[in-house]
Amino acid sequence: MSETHPPTFRRAVVALAGGPGDERIVRLVSELAKPSHGEVIAVHVVEIGWSLPLDADIAGRSEEIQSILDAAEGVAESSKMRLEAVLLQARDVGAALVDEATERAADLLVLSLPYRKRFGGDFAIGRTIPYVLKNAPCTVWVVREPIPEGEA
Amino acid sequence: MIGGRQPLRGRKLGDRRVRVERPHAAYFRWSGKGVMTAKASASRPTTGFGSALATVRHALLGRPLASGEEIGERLSKKKALAIFSSDAISSSAYATEEILRVLILGGAAALAFGLEVAIAIAILLIVVAISYRQVCLAYPTGGGSYSVSKRNFGRNVSLIAASALLIDYVMTVAVSTTSAVEQITSAIPGLHDQRVVIGVAAIALITIGNLRGLREAGNIFAIPTYLFLGSAFLMIAIGAFRIVVGGEGGTFPPEVVAQAAKIPEQVTALLLLRAFAAGAVALTGTEAIATGVPAFQPPESKNAATTLAAMAALLGILFIGITFLAVNFGITHLEFPEKQTVISQVARRVYGDGSIPFYLFQAFTALLLFLAANTSFNAFPRLLAILAGDSHMPRQFAFRGDRLAFSYGIIALAVVASLLIVAFNGETHLLIPLYAVGVFIDFTISQAGMIRHWLRERPAGWQRRLAINAFGCTLTAIVAVVVTYAKWPASAIVLVLIPSLVLLMLGIRRQYEGQATELHVREDIVFAGPNREQRAVVPVNGINRAVVQAVTFARTVAQDVRAVYVTEDAADAEAMRRRWEQQLPGVPLVIVESPYRAIVEPFIAYLDVLDETWPPDREAPVTIVVLPEYVAKRWWDRVLYNQTAKRLKAAIVGRDHTVIADVPYRRDH
Repeated sequence: MSETHPPTFRRAVVALAGGPGDERIVRLVSELAKPSHGEVIAVHVVEIGWSLPLDADIAGRSEEIQSILDAAEGVAESSKMRLEAVLLQARDVGAALVDEATERAADLLVLSLPYRKRFGGDFAIGRTIPYVLKNAPCTVWVVREPIPEGEA
Repeated sequence: MIGGRQPLRGRKLGDRRVRVERPHAAYFRWSGKGVMTAKASASRPTTGFGSALATVRHALLGRPLASGEEIGERLSKKKALAIFSSDAISSSAYATEEILRVLILGGAAALAFGLEVAIAIAILLIVVAISYRQVCLAYPTGGGSYSVSKRNFGRNVSLIAASALLIDYVMTVAVSTTSAVEQITSAIPGLHDQRVVIGVAAIALITIGNLRGLREAGNIFAIPTYLFLGSAFLMIAIGAFRIVVGGEGGTFPPEVVAQAAKIPEQVTALLLLRAFAAGAVALTGTEAIATGVPAFQPPESKNAATTLAAMAALLGILFIGITFLAVNFGITHLEFPEKQTVISQVARRVYGDGSIPFYLFQAFTALLLFLAANTSFNAFPRLLAILAGDSHMPRQFAFRGDRLAFSYGIIALAVVASLLIVAFNGETHLLIPLYAVGVFIDFTISQAGMIRHWLRERPAGWQRRLAINAFGCTLTAIVAVVVTYAKWPASAIVLVLIPSLVLLMLGIRRQYEGQATELHVREDIVFAGPNREQRAVVPVNGINRAVVQAVTFARTVAQDVRAVYVTEDAADAEAMRRRWEQQLPGVPLVIVESPYRAIVEPFIAYLDVLDETWPPDREAPVTIVVLPEYVAKRWWDRVLYNQTAKRLKAAIVGRDHTVIADVPYRRDH
């Protein structure tokens, strides 16, 4: 059966990393959510090292961290969509994303992946995306950023 | 949730996360380093009354728009033609009549000169339109003749241009509205006695439309313009066909012949000149596009210039066409047995008396004239905003309302135009003499400014452009003199109003400049922390929660804190002192006995004494008068409290080295 309609979802969790890919995935999900009146939740997770208590007052006071979610709100608004912004502190970003998506019964989890290379030239995928792909109960989309010019 | 952080368990043992509250997110958004942008929720009223008022306003005017949405409010050429050109195009509805009203003074035969006069005015229109096209291209920031003259001649001349324009815009609203009402009463004579009410009600509706913002004003008014243009061109085509091909022509009806016979005058050059001056009212509104260039979609200048050319072409054809039909059908205005405008008689003749097309045409004409009034509602507030930006008008005129419209300017225009309609009893013909004089003064200043512009800038092809503007300037200057002479003594009112407005605007500027000089801070000064001593004085009326809160606050801002109790009862004062020393130790209480029962004056006198006892070799301290204030829950309760505090405040404001701190005590807090 051919699929001619854009994929629909009821509730999507968008993982924000604070990079240029955030705008792309928020816009993409907002546009896709619009026709079906889907709900969009943007989540930014601040990783807290073991030297600090998990509930240390870090993310709440940081203008830089708050502005990641605020910028996502602005992008969604420009697409005439409302977005719920969630700020989390966790020891492990992947686990926090999966837990948040599960708790909110999301049927889509979207992450952006910057094009990076490890020392030695191999494409680096990091550890968050493999964890989410392995553990998230819902559909997972990974949107890889374009390869920078000169590296393609 | 503890301290805005909520601990949560994950699916797997050991997976924990903390959800962090974002209290700012309800009202603000971080938009840059150290920069917060307020959301719409931050601008919402906080009181019940304010919310109710906002609900009514939003229902009437629409939701508030953010400044960033402005680009969406820009006008396309089609909408701009409807909005900015309706003034000029609609003048074809009464310009012919103004010519014929003068020519009839020379008898029925003189009416035949109407077409020649109309052609002469159309030539003038072409010259003015070509000249203003150059203004659009040279000055994309808008402002029309004000901007041009300010740049090229300086402040005083530009203010003359601005004054003439402001008068012109107000007159446009008044004349277009009364003329629209006359089109209605020509079709339905029974409404003639209600003309003033209809006119003022129409202005109120147009005002609401404009307060909703530009784009929606365009949507409301674009359709009638095109309906009028379509029906008017159809009327001209049918009428011209019947005259040219069918040989239909008119003999003047007996009413016209009788009207003409009453006031015989020779067809002299002077009469033709007066007819020309009267018909020159057709050119009003030509400058509106040049003033409103920034309202166009990009490329603003090019789109404005194209729209201006289209407008001039449409107006020229309409004006000559309607005059051609009126002259050939032998039509002029009728006052008896019932008032009939020239254009309504032409439509009646072409479409048939009492026919549906006739009534439709009258309706479209009336709608277009209302829309012409709307032209000024776009241009007048913009000009006021530019003037306010230059400190020549109160700054409120530069503020935009919820819908990005210059609300104060819109309301000011509506009020003044409505007053004119009431004062002139809704009669277009009585208002017309005040019109056009300012317009031609304005045209002349603008063209003269362009001459200087080309001489200074000298871009490619400047000689040709200079020649166009020089010709336009000469022609409009001559017409300005002719119009002023022909419309004397009514034109004298405008000649007095213009310098009065100039003086007013110069006065406002002087006031703002004085304030700016007073508040100016030199850029090379670095301000260190406070080095003056501070003392706090708390006027008290007893010991209560509001007083205790105020005294506690006073102790946080100054070391030297004292309470002052003004009373007329010595026994009461002693009881007060005992209680004070027991409950608020460490804060001296000064009791001022007031045998004359005054409270405010003895308190001020005490402050004066404090100042005088300060060592003269030390810099005077800052005295903070801390006022305990009880805030009642409901607004109608508030009248019962704080009256003495208000009088104290009024007496202290402006006192040297003294600041007032209100410490409100709210019930339930």
